[in-house]
Amino acid sequence: MRSYKVKFINPVVLLLLCLLMLHGCSPGSDQEAEKPAAIEEKRPTMHSVEMLQMKFYPIELKVKKGDKIVFVNHDIVTHDIREESKKAWNSSPMSEGQTWILEATETVNYYCSIHPVMKGKIVVE
Amino acid sequence: MKHTMITRNIGPVAITLSVLITFPGFSQENAKLSDPEVASVAVVANQIDISYAEIAKKKSKDPEVLKFAETMINDHTAVIEKVAALTKKLGVTPKDNDVSKKLLADAKKTKEMLGSKSGDAFNKAYVDNEVTYHKAVIDAVDGLLIPETDNEELKALLQNVVAALKAHLGHAEMLQKNMHK
Repeated sequence: MRSYKVKFINPVVLLLLCLLMLHGCSPGSDQEAEKPAAIEEKRPTMHSVEMLQMKFYPIELKVKKGDKIVFVNHDIVTHDIREESKKAWNSSPMSEGQTWILEATETVNYYCSIHPVMKGKIVVE
Repeated sequence: MKHTMITRNIGPVAITLSVLITFPGFSQENAKLSDPEVASVAVVANQIDISYAEIAKKKSKDPEVLKFAETMINDHTAVIEKVAALTKKLGVTPKDNDVSKKLLADAKKTKEMLGSKSGDAFNKAYVDNEVTYHKAVIDAVDGLLIPETDNEELKALLQNVVAALKAHLGHAEMLQKNMHK
């Protein structure tokens, strides 16, 4: 008999749960959830590249056009960032703890002109 | 056992600096240095590479060699400042010793050799010496000191220093390769 009661109660509980879930998935709440995401898509994303132990981390970074990249120097020694193929742009020297921001416009290879073995790449997708 | 003894007898900064005991001409038996003596060795070793770079700045007209020399001066000065800050924190005052004296004596010979050369011969001699010198220091720091170090602050400093030395070596080898083209 006990098992019969359990079987009888379960559908009621399930119904209540369904009602609660439907309420939670109402059109009004959907719109509110989508709003921030729609705004987020238009904003440029901020990425970071860390200079640590004479290397760029990550060595290759994939971004979207217009995104911004913050380069942070964690090393004891001074570094800079220079576009490799045409030497089209470069940062000023960055000592320990200093940062520099680049806006991504195209795929580029770059390096540290002070320590030319340090190399990295930004891929604009 | 020898490594254990070194770790116990000298402080973290001393261990950092004792890397230089493996320079050519020094055996492990020379490793019994006090903290102030090891601090002296470390400072001297960095100063030696700065002194080579200063000679290069006076004698070379090659833009790439001059740029490398400038980097050596700036980077080794930065390392000396870090070491000095750590020795100050630990209350260690550098003291002359046989190892630092031997390093200086060897450096004197190298500087005389560099002083006797000019033009392309000087550039080649300077860059060749930079490759040899950095290889010796990297081997000592990487192979002996980092594995033996328990102090996290010291280990981090060693890793930063050896990374810088490896970048210097890579840079020097690039110059060396271009000279042989």
